[in-house]
Amino acid sequence: MIAPRWRKVLRDIGQTPLRTALAVVAMAAGAFGVTMILTSYSILKRELGTMYTDTRPASAILTIDGTVDDTLVDSVRRMPGVADAEARPVIYGRIQVAKDHWLPLTLFVIRDFSDIRLDRFKPDSGAWPPGDDEMLIERSSLSVANASLSDRVIIRTSDHAEHAVRITGTVHAAGLAPGWMEHAVTGFVSWSSHLRSSATSADQLRLLVATDALNERHIRDVASKVEASINRKVTRIDVPTPGRHPHAAQMDTFLFLLGAFGALTFALSAVLVATMIHALLTEQLRQIGVMKTVGASTMQIAALYLGQVAILAAAALAIGIPLGIDAGGAYARFAASMLNATLRSTLPPLWIIAAEVLAGIAIPLLVALGPIARASRITIHEAFSNDIGRHPFGTRRFDRWLARIQWLPRPLMLSLRTTFHRRGRLILTVATLAAGGAAFIAALNVSAAWNRTLAADARGRRFDVQAVFSRPVPIAQVQQVLDKHPDVVHAEYWIESGAMLGETNVSLIGPDANTKLLDLPLIAGRWLQPDDEAVAVINQSALAHDLHLGGNIPLRINGKIVTWRIVGVVNELAPHANVYAPPRTILAATGKSPDLTRSARIVTRQRDIPGQLAAAKSIEQALNNAGIDVAAVQSLSDSRKSFADHLVIIKSALIFAALLVVLVGGLGLTSTLTLNVFERTREIGILSAIGATPRTIARDVVFEGMVMAVLSWFIAVIAAIPITFALDDAAGRMFIRSALDFYMSPTAVAAWLLLVLILAALSRFHPARRSARLAVREAIAYE
Amino acid sequence: MIHLQALSKTYETPAGSFEALCGIDLDIDAGEFVAIVGKSGSGKSTLLNMVGGIDRPSSGSLTVNGASIASLTHNELAMWRGRTVGFVFQFFQLLPTLTVAENVMLPMDFLGTLPGSQRKKRAMDLLDRVAVADQADKLPSALSGGQQQRVAIARALANDPPVILADEPTGNLDSETSTAIFKLFGELSSEGKTLLVVTHDREAAATVSRTVTIADGCVA
Repeated sequence: MIAPRWRKVLRDIGQTPLRTALAVVAMAAGAFGVTMILTSYSILKRELGTMYTDTRPASAILTIDGTVDDTLVDSVRRMPGVADAEARPVIYGRIQVAKDHWLPLTLFVIRDFSDIRLDRFKPDSGAWPPGDDEMLIERSSLSVANASLSDRVIIRTSDHAEHAVRITGTVHAAGLAPGWMEHAVTGFVSWSSHLRSSATSADQLRLLVATDALNERHIRDVASKVEASINRKVTRIDVPTPGRHPHAAQMDTFLFLLGAFGALTFALSAVLVATMIHALLTEQLRQIGVMKTVGASTMQIAALYLGQVAILAAAALAIGIPLGIDAGGAYARFAASMLNATLRSTLPPLWIIAAEVLAGIAIPLLVALGPIARASRITIHEAFSNDIGRHPFGTRRFDRWLARIQWLPRPLMLSLRTTFHRRGRLILTVATLAAGGAAFIAALNVSAAWNRTLAADARGRRFDVQAVFSRPVPIAQVQQVLDKHPDVVHAEYWIESGAMLGETNVSLIGPDANTKLLDLPLIAGRWLQPDDEAVAVINQSALAHDLHLGGNIPLRINGKIVTWRIVGVVNELAPHANVYAPPRTILAATGKSPDLTRSARIVTRQRDIPGQLAAAKSIEQALNNAGIDVAAVQSLSDSRKSFADHLVIIKSALIFAALLVVLVGGLGLTSTLTLNVFERTREIGILSAIGATPRTIARDVVFEGMVMAVLSWFIAVIAAIPITFALDDAAGRMFIRSALDFYMSPTAVAAWLLLVLILAALSRFHPARRSARLAVREAIAYE
Repeated sequence: MIHLQALSKTYETPAGSFEALCGIDLDIDAGEFVAIVGKSGSGKSTLLNMVGGIDRPSSGSLTVNGASIASLTHNELAMWRGRTVGFVFQFFQLLPTLTVAENVMLPMDFLGTLPGSQRKKRAMDLLDRVAVADQADKLPSALSGGQQQRVAIARALANDPPVILADEPTGNLDSETSTAIFKLFGELSSEGKTLLVVTHDREAAATVSRTVTIADGCVA
């Protein structure tokens, strides 16, 4: 038999179904939000973590001058320190995706499709392995290639030869970035492919170290030993960051944002719980007094209300957790598709569910502990008192100041005074609204900051098209084509090369001394000057290598160390390290010819996007006709889009967070504001008794909601500032190695104001009218 | 049973100090049925609240059933109140979500005065005693004012306290019901309970064994 006091708890819950439903919905919304984020976070963390390592990524890639045959591979496999090795020549070319529209193509030549040892990929659809005039295409490249299975596509290899190749199947290469994001196509052909015999390939030897696979220095040591012992000319050694997927920075940023907004949603739901409990206890004070009168102790009363909170929290969890798991799984699937990953399971680990259940009960209880302890300790005298609080209106300075406002209509004055007099209620309601608002505004601010960073970077690059050549070509030859081209207004041919900064590959870029095509924002120091020698301007990614303005940057070029003085640091939207130096400094260090170039940066006559695209096509055509070996001609708008596509996943997390806050916050706010009106039933009864019409009462209550909404909006805007700063800093550093510039989005600020005002009006109008229509006696009844 | 000596109560209000009780000396013996009368705001309810441990005196001493209330902690006071005092209020103060029987069982539940299985029987006995046993399974809202007050009296008797305190118990009832309620109080008094009743009802007050008049916080 259930004791009467516990029956009271159960019946109190059932007695006011609307109020209970609102409280449960608000708490369920919080549980839903947190579960959804935790679920997607844990699934992605688990699946993405193993996805890359399961491909058995190569520790080092040696590009070798000459063929990598089985004998060489076998000998490398037997070398000490090497766990495995595989030959994987690469054919670089272009694929035709539309008339006169070509995109970069990378074709990996696979020695044995039944024994892929490193950088593994799996069949996805269609045939496996491909025939001699066939290719398999990475599944995320298929749409980029504008092709379907069984289509015959035209491939142009670096020798200008065009080949028709049939796509017979798709594969999933989890270690590669998605084709749509890179705006490039990746495919796989067999060892006996016709392409291999006719096209030039960069023969690569991939190897996996036997031990210490995450130690970059160790990998380089092993690679150097292999280089020394194979008796072949190694033109390049690449060591991908061990254990890091090519898009690890995006994943980290994305997961960080999910986690950060998970915490914010959690805080929001905790405030919601506090608001619910406050509303519940306010209404129960008199009953607490009665129970104390008949002998209930403080502990007994506290236990009753904690029990009530636990029951409501359990109901909220029963709704919020399953929905959150479903939605989190769906979002994880979406996010995985953005990262070219396949999820094996969309179920979160059991510990997440267990932790959610535990936290979902414990957090409301912890949040409730303070208010319940206070309410349980209240004296019977206070509980029976009709005074609203310990400080009657007019006893505090602010009340007296408020009382001096006489110019408002009297009912509105009453609303205003009531709003500010019940401080506990006001603080909780405003805190709930503000927490939601701050998270919403911060999410949109960070999203806008990415857009602005992208736009600022684009503004600093004042060329429209960049042509990249497969091999160094004489500048005079390119100049001859471009000077005559009707779409070209101006072109520059910069010196470009590669170097090592410690264990990191960096790009050396030598723009023209008086270039008008580059104006990157300086973080510190100055830009290059025409008479500079042995100096460098580095970007923030290079700066992260323990460098500083005024110090030297040590670079390994052609096996020798050169040091240049750092005179400036620029902010660049690039996750990799770039070093800008005077062309003659780079030429002196690399020994390259000043008459050859690998790229041209071009200003076109029509500078809009269609103009850029049209010019890119016709310039490529003209260069090809002149026999210049073009690797890619990309309009700036295209490369901007490519970078923007890398941000899709990050921005999706931000938009997802903002929508979640609207959902959780919206439901919570509606519940809070509605409950708030219930608390005022007695007051409304008195107003009705003295002649206020339901319309007047509804108007005043809505006005009170609006006051709270505007107040909360103001606080939300202020609170969003440090949150945005923190997120801009962390997300920027993870992805582009420098904090994003702080930006307060007027759209976000205005949108939240509008949203909160609409919510306030909607959630108060109906309950206010309902309360006003109650019989006066009912409204002012004692119980 | 009840011993008040120089009992004072002063409230601090925004308008200044307000002396609700000014050094009251009063002794009430066990089994006495005492009416406290006086004008509104004279301090009657304050006096009752002091005796019932709802409020604490500013000065003076107060002993009820041998216990000095001022020395009890918050929780001790709750326990003491549950065992020693039964309250009856003007507006009944029944818990609206509990049935009549459950309202009566509630004090036993809080104090654990009887084994769980015996509480229902005691509640039914008490309801029978106050002539509302047939209403046991109804919610308070289904009862008339008089019936609700009878239930409140049954609840006040639940833990068999020696003292019953009633604050305007008939203030919300018609005269016929008021007479019945006072008759019930009289019976309780004759059974040895000490009753202290604040009332405006002069007619009802005439049925008590002693009347104490309070004016401006002092015994007149």
